[in-house]
Amino acid sequence: MEERRHLQTRGGNPPLTTLGLIDPDRLALFRYSIVTWIDKDGFPFSVATDFILSENGEILLKKPSVPATMTGSRVGVLFNHITGIPTGGYTDRRYMLVWGTVSEDKGFLKLRPEEVSEWDEKILPFDKLCGAAVPQGKKYLESLQPSIDA
Amino acid sequence: MNAPDWVKDVFDRYLICEFTSIDNGKPVTFPLLFFYDNPPPKFAVTSSILFSRKIEHMKKNPKVSLLFSNPEGSGIEKHVVLVQGVAKCDDSDLDHGWERYLPMWRKKEPYIDGFLAAREQFAWFWKRIVVEVEPKKILAWKNGDTSKPAEAIHL
Repeated sequence: MEERRHLQTRGGNPPLTTLGLIDPDRLALFRYSIVTWIDKDGFPFSVATDFILSENGEILLKKPSVPATMTGSRVGVLFNHITGIPTGGYTDRRYMLVWGTVSEDKGFLKLRPEEVSEWDEKILPFDKLCGAAVPQGKKYLESLQPSIDA
Repeated sequence: MNAPDWVKDVFDRYLICEFTSIDNGKPVTFPLLFFYDNPPPKFAVTSSILFSRKIEHMKKNPKVSLLFSNPEGSGIEKHVVLVQGVAKCDDSDLDHGWERYLPMWRKKEPYIDGFLAAREQFAWFWKRIVVEVEPKKILAWKNGDTSKPAEAIHL
């Protein structure tokens, strides 16, 4: 699976509400979340955890056992869906990556979204996604050019 | 690596990992197909130049993580394993360098040969950077219960 994005929204200050930034119906299609933050040693730390959507549209993450060093700092939360197929591989690919901060809230970690990036192959087929990504490919090739010329 | 069988099974059988690079202090996580080789334990992913922002991140900061949390399509029970490591990006041969991973790729995605047949049509998709990750720390949650403390795996 590749890095793919067809929608990216940058939140301002103050952060937008969950409902203003994320479609809760689309979010509800995911089963669990991956919370990632930068740990004290500078490495990314990820943990999988369940989540619920409150009636107010808040994203509440079940607290994992790991030390809550992510509280108050910026986190990335990946909602990912992959369906394995019997012959190998997967289909029905979609994900939503939300950046924001988390705070303790009634035994959960409440996510305050600030930015989102997502891809759903049913909305943007893979070939069209590749077409949209050509500028990034061109940029990367151009960055290699000095070493090729040398 | 001194790991229990259920951890080795995750590395051998899971199809994808959630791969995180760091962009100016911000974690950026995407689901990626990975390859595992042992010994010594080494993880690899490949990236098209089309989706190479993560490569740019890793060239600036090679600290990455791979989380294995999704057993879909693997045929084994769910466990969760976190690998933190240092990434090395190799873009010296975009057209053929990644092909050494093709046999492992084919096992995970048998239909990849169909895409390869259309290599001319998707030429830039097949210009690929190889990222190899040397693990520095591994934490594992048996049965995927992350509400319990993780087990540290000795490298």
